[in-house]
Amino acid sequence: MPETTPVIHGPVAPAPPVGVLAGWAVSRRRSGAALTLSDHSLLAKAAVKAPWQGALADVLAVPFAGTLRRTAASTELLLTQPGPGEWLVLAPPGEQTALVTWLERCAADVDELVSVLDVTHGLCLVRLTGAAAPDLLAKECALDLSERRCPDRTALRTAVSRVAADIIRDDRDGNRSYLLACERSSGQYLFDSLLDAGAEYGVEVTGFEPPGVTEQTARAD
Amino acid sequence: MILLPCPWCGPRDADEFGYAGEIRPRPDPSTTTPAEWRGYLYLRRNTAGWTRERWFHRMGCRRYLVLERDTTNNDVRPSTDASSGSGS
Repeated sequence: MPETTPVIHGPVAPAPPVGVLAGWAVSRRRSGAALTLSDHSLLAKAAVKAPWQGALADVLAVPFAGTLRRTAASTELLLTQPGPGEWLVLAPPGEQTALVTWLERCAADVDELVSVLDVTHGLCLVRLTGAAAPDLLAKECALDLSERRCPDRTALRTAVSRVAADIIRDDRDGNRSYLLACERSSGQYLFDSLLDAGAEYGVEVTGFEPPGVTEQTARAD
Repeated sequence: MILLPCPWCGPRDADEFGYAGEIRPRPDPSTTTPAEWRGYLYLRRNTAGWTRERWFHRMGCRRYLVLERDTTNNDVRPSTDASSGSGS
């Protein structure tokens, strides 16, 4: 009897051709379009709640509505605080155990009510990259995403296509780029909605390129 | 589109919020009569003019806020976070 390896299926159906990365079924498609959409749900994700001006907030050191990159637990993390006292922390695929362990160790050092939850499989995360990304998002949400109001390293929560979603501005190699996180059950809808809204801008699906959270995207494959 | 001023997120579309009702003085449960308690729970003044209301920013900061709104034209005055004490 042949051995089989279980494959994790994310909230968004991968566009063919499909491969496996860190145990997840991912799209291997590579698009050279000026505006691309990719599924980043395989990134390790942790949700943290704590008093917004408490001791843990000082440890995480992320400003409200902002993001911060730091290296911890031997990996590079992207910390965001889209809501007061609510953090979403991202790490490369497969690092969720190290991520949660690090956060729990941080929480153990403070004397306040803190919750740390691994939401790797509970959230959908997509990345929209390209100069026309704010124009596309302007069709789907009612926020001013201009450079003045939403510069790089901004994190906020709003309704995108009428779905509550975190919008994290995380530019890549000088290109406008946004990470959007929503509940897993709304992930496919949000992905399809963005593709539909971006048709006039020529948006194309591209596959995940690891590690996904660092400053410069590593060119794999 | 009605914009509500969230003290955390700034002006946002009212669709992002959930209406949590007008603010009324809460009677003391240990001394109030059933009629007074029922009135507090179920009866509304439905004022035509300025009212103090509690809203929940469900698609934003997920905080309750207190604001004043003119029910005749939806003019809104600046809001405060409900946990600051001004909304109780």
